[in-house]
Amino acid sequence: MAIKKYAFIIEKLPYKSETSRLALTHAIASQTVEIYLDDGDNVEPVIAFIGEGVLNCLKDQKALDIYGVTSLEMHIKNALLLDLRVLVCKEDLEKFGLTEDQIVMDAEELGAEITTEVVPYEQIHQEMESADHIMFF
Amino acid sequence: MKLVVFVNDYKEPPILDRLKADKFGIVFVQNGVYHCTLKKDGSTSALLSKDAELYALSEDLESRGFKAEDVDSKVKVINYEGLVDLIFNDYEKIIWL
Repeated sequence: MAIKKYAFIIEKLPYKSETSRLALTHAIASQTVEIYLDDGDNVEPVIAFIGEGVLNCLKDQKALDIYGVTSLEMHIKNALLLDLRVLVCKEDLEKFGLTEDQIVMDAEELGAEITTEVVPYEQIHQEMESADHIMFF
Repeated sequence: MKLVVFVNDYKEPPILDRLKADKFGIVFVQNGVYHCTLKKDGSTSALLSKDAELYALSEDLESRGFKAEDVDSKVKVINYEGLVDLIFNDYEKIIWL
């Protein structure tokens, strides 16, 4: 009977590689393992964007129209819809001159109840410390 | 020589400083478009100060959540058709970095 916490840390840019998309799909898929686990066991994922990875979170990505692939924006919204915690490093957003208005903060149109959290790196570090497994993408 | 270089990543390719051409162009594509939209630590990318004609591909900008107005004024935004015209009409050689 245990909860295993997984931290998915994303620091790669979107689209040139599938890396950041894989992080999100893995995090979302982690919610489905419950059916294979014993009663009381579960997986608790947390997703954090750091460094250049924060650029995955920009709004109004037109990747579906132009590349024919689901945008990272939509993957983030799906994660929020599934109540996955999504953290974005405050310092790294500021480094790129970005504000909360320019990134995906919610998925209200899909019915998501939680929002993205813009947090200091120290908090992301604490999430990594408290995680059983850390995966960098 | 009329040379155009494609930059497709958000890193400065060291070879850029060694390339010489009578007419020199840089096209920002894929993740290269971040060079012309962001000011990392408040500074524009060093690539924007190169002595070159600068272009960015609109489709790659829009895919990443940017609009033409987000692009530095030194950079001309072009679409795929414009890029084909550019390659065929304005330059003789292409390098993909």
